[in-house]
Amino acid sequence: MTTIKVPRPPESAMDRDRPVNGLLKAQILHLHEAERRLPLRHHTDIYINAIKTEGEAAEYIRRVTEAIHDAHAAAAAKRVKPKRRRTIEIAAVADDNPPPKRGKRRKT
Amino acid sequence: MAPGLDGLKHIVVLMMENRSFDHMLGALKAVNPAIDGITPNLSNPDTNGNPVQVQALAQFQGQLDPDPDHHFPAVDLQIFGGNTAAGRQPTMDGFVKSYFNQQQDVGHSQKIMYYFTPDKLPVLTTLATEFAVFNGWFASIPGPTICNRAFAHYGTSFGQVSMDIFYVKEPYKSIYERLIGANPAHTAKLYYYDTTSSTMEVVNLLQNEPKLFGTYEQFLSDCASGNLPEYSFVEPNYTDHDGDNGAEIANDQHPDHNIQAGELFIASVYNAIKQNAALWQSTALLVVYDEHGGIYDHVPPPNCSPNAPDGHTASGNDTGTGMPFGFDRLGVRVPAILISPWVPKGTVVDGRVFEHASIPATVTKFFLGNYPQRTAREAAADTFLDLLSLNVMRQDCPDFST
Repeated sequence: MTTIKVPRPPESAMDRDRPVNGLLKAQILHLHEAERRLPLRHHTDIYINAIKTEGEAAEYIRRVTEAIHDAHAAAAAKRVKPKRRRTIEIAAVADDNPPPKRGKRRKT
Repeated sequence: MAPGLDGLKHIVVLMMENRSFDHMLGALKAVNPAIDGITPNLSNPDTNGNPVQVQALAQFQGQLDPDPDHHFPAVDLQIFGGNTAAGRQPTMDGFVKSYFNQQQDVGHSQKIMYYFTPDKLPVLTTLATEFAVFNGWFASIPGPTICNRAFAHYGTSFGQVSMDIFYVKEPYKSIYERLIGANPAHTAKLYYYDTTSSTMEVVNLLQNEPKLFGTYEQFLSDCASGNLPEYSFVEPNYTDHDGDNGAEIANDQHPDHNIQAGELFIASVYNAIKQNAALWQSTALLVVYDEHGGIYDHVPPPNCSPNAPDGHTASGNDTGTGMPFGFDRLGVRVPAILISPWVPKGTVVDGRVFEHASIPATVTKFFLGNYPQRTAREAAADTFLDLLSLNVMRQDCPDFST
């Protein structure tokens, strides 16, 4: 069985300051579309028109991708939590807080 | 049924970025004449009318800068050489002219004709010569990334020929939704490199179904533990960035990212599958590129069958050429290799036409069988699992040391 050695790229191959290419610009626009539909608390404070480099693009992409996951996780957590109190609990509360006597009106 | 197909449990697709067949694998014609690659006479005219020959001078990085134009109008020029007459035929002689338009530099424009020698791409060329290389895998659209990738996910781009945002229209579902929504349900996942690279499939899938997604780290873990889904789509790293484990070099091979980084990534995906023996014998891995990136290829893209239409059209405004597009012609040829120990060594898939709709077509056919809710084009697309034809599994498949 043959083993082929695969050369590694030089460290100079990495360039966080490389200008953003067309593919990343499109991805940023698509993510921005998704970001504006998220609840405000999940929005980034990044102005996408100011993104010029791959490093800046990477930061925005990460934050919005994680925000999408977080927003869905938050929604899923709310679905698991019961929305209403049980009947027995409601009855117990009613015993502790009896309704007002007839003839007396609640102040509005 | 052939034993490789009988025991098949997983299909994995790795889709890389923006390189043509001749640019990456064309030199292999000298090794195997059955591969439809480079011959010395191939050329394109430059803007002075002088022929520019293909040359084995492609470099790993720093050469194709600016990024060659691969949007619809530029690809139209590349394929038809500037001919806009009705009934025109593809001549594949507009690549140098197209690249010249970006910098007005005659010398620089000729670099679009450069290709790699096999020794510079040890991973891709080994895989191409060890397994099944496709002479006729084409981009689905003569255009850019996002609409081409859509064909891999949905079997259509819903009429899109650009990088614009589009929303999926019923009734066509992604291959992931088809599998997961089936009865009995199947398993499927898209693995992006990490959240900093993310996916190119944002507004329809990531935005609505983020649980479909995992990271590359999870892919490696799923391979090792035997928990890989039945269908996996892997995306490379699209940016140079700092990750949890240090510097992450973009490995998608999109110009001007480093080609060697992409070679390492392809080897990593292959090794992850091969190092789990049970997974290796039950998995088919397709390595394919989304589109040619504006780089030269000599094979004219064929017409699509009029009997199996995509069902969409793009207006002359949308194409940017003034001419509408009926999704009746494929894009430029791209490298595509099918890897499995059940594929005979040195297979060259010739005389057949494949495109990215072949991916959902193949996956749907294998896991779901008959499935009507898709375009006629996808339903008619050629599928590739018949290439797993050996009766005895190979024991001589290579390893990569990274």
